[in-house]
Amino acid sequence: MSENSIAPARREQLVLGIIGTLAFLLVWETAARFDLINPVVVSNPTRIAAAFVSQLQSGEILADLEVSLIEFAAGFGLSLVVGIGLGIAMGLNRLTEYAVDPFVWFLYSSPLIAFYPLIIVWLGFGFATVVAITFLLSFVSVVVNTVAGVHGVDPQLVRAVRAFGGGRLDVIRKVILPAAVPLIIAGMRIGLGRALHGVVLGEMFSSNAGLGYRITFYAAHLRTADVFVPLVILVVIGLMINQLGNAVEARLQAWRA
Amino acid sequence: MSVPDISAVTQAPVGSGSSRASLASHRFARAVVGFMAVALFLIAWQIVGGNEIIRSDLISYPSEVVETLFQMSASGELGSNLVVSLQEFIQGFLPAIAVGIAAGTAFALSRRLHYLFEPLIVALNTSPIIAFVPIVVVWFGVGTQSKAIMVFLAAVIPIVINTMTGITQVHESWIRACRAFGASKSQVILKAILPGALPSVMVGVRLAVGRAVVGLIAAEMYVSVRGIGRLIQVYSTSERAAEIFVLVAVVASFGFVLVTLLRRIEGAIAPWSLEP
Repeated sequence: MSENSIAPARREQLVLGIIGTLAFLLVWETAARFDLINPVVVSNPTRIAAAFVSQLQSGEILADLEVSLIEFAAGFGLSLVVGIGLGIAMGLNRLTEYAVDPFVWFLYSSPLIAFYPLIIVWLGFGFATVVAITFLLSFVSVVVNTVAGVHGVDPQLVRAVRAFGGGRLDVIRKVILPAAVPLIIAGMRIGLGRALHGVVLGEMFSSNAGLGYRITFYAAHLRTADVFVPLVILVVIGLMINQLGNAVEARLQAWRA
Repeated sequence: MSVPDISAVTQAPVGSGSSRASLASHRFARAVVGFMAVALFLIAWQIVGGNEIIRSDLISYPSEVVETLFQMSASGELGSNLVVSLQEFIQGFLPAIAVGIAAGTAFALSRRLHYLFEPLIVALNTSPIIAFVPIVVVWFGVGTQSKAIMVFLAAVIPIVINTMTGITQVHESWIRACRAFGASKSQVILKAILPGALPSVMVGVRLAVGRAVVGLIAAEMYVSVRGIGRLIQVYSTSERAAEIFVLVAVVASFGFVLVTLLRRIEGAIAPWSLEP
């Protein structure tokens, strides 16, 4: 996309957004410089930038990022496989749907955060527990949306495949999955956000590695500027997930039109 | 995964042709099958845990959970900590409603103002809010204040966003009607825009309840003297699952009761907003 193609309203949004963010950082920095806030406890942008550089140089933060990303991928990958599989089974079979539904809604509405001590007891401290919490938090939105997607499939298409001698697997592969994709993606989008939550939650309370752990570690040592490094990385990951979701949804809209 | 039954899809066209009677019978079947599944699960859990087929301190069993619930309420341990959590919740949530509606209204009325704050709002909205718990505790201490701040941070964003959406979706014709009868700008806001936006605002408030409860419990679990999250932390080292299940149920009811209460209040002050 060339620069000219950005509409004036869009450019205004961009410029004002940058101005707002810079103003926020400037006020923060000035307040700390003039001791209106305690710079050691509250920290300020320049200290955070310095902490960022030193943590990058020591390589420590990259190791934590790697741990978090692996746990995130494992937990969310698992919730995709289980979520789509269970969602299709529930969408195709009423009995399964009715029987599983109460459990899905229980998971969806119950505060999983309160469950974490049990998960530690079951799976032990560390990787497996973080992955399990990530999975539990994210897979429900994939299930719910997959069920809705399968229900929305045009029954005529299913009948057509059957009439030409297609088996059940053909129906699933050729009709149901493609038709359910937009809703599954919408579910994935919600699930990604919840999975990030799960990783942080798991690492904060039941791990000794990863960005979430690193936040609690620095906070316990009152190294405020250092706390912000993993925190800012998490915020950026959240923003990237959101942007990715926007882009995919825009492409889907264009593809369906 | 068992082989799925395709017939359910082929026989039930979605959105067309299903009569009221068949819809009601589906609802009935859903309730019966769901109830049976849950009952079976509870019975199996009782048998497996109660007979120590799996160590019951790891998974507990329903009758033990209910017993523990009564013990913990009778000793006053549940009630006194619940009151602390509720106070912290209210201290953070009421300001979040006030600030959220005010900011959302301002952003809806001035596009430029919204653009200035947009990156901050989007960042807070998309990042995992519990990652802010440690920094909030460092800034505001281990007492109740840091919990109220976490509740506020978690709750304010959905209220801002939904207020904004609600106001931009208010029917143009209502505003024109007010103007035609000589209403001032503040009258238009009070009589048309805010009531029209209320249903959307309340969706935001209900969303905010769920997030705020998670923020509150996480903050209490991280470090606190009292509160439900503190209890979870205390019992996490006791190697007994029953207390944890009780506390999960308490936290779930906490959110559920609040949302139900909000719906009641909403129905009383703005009956139009609960219509579908």
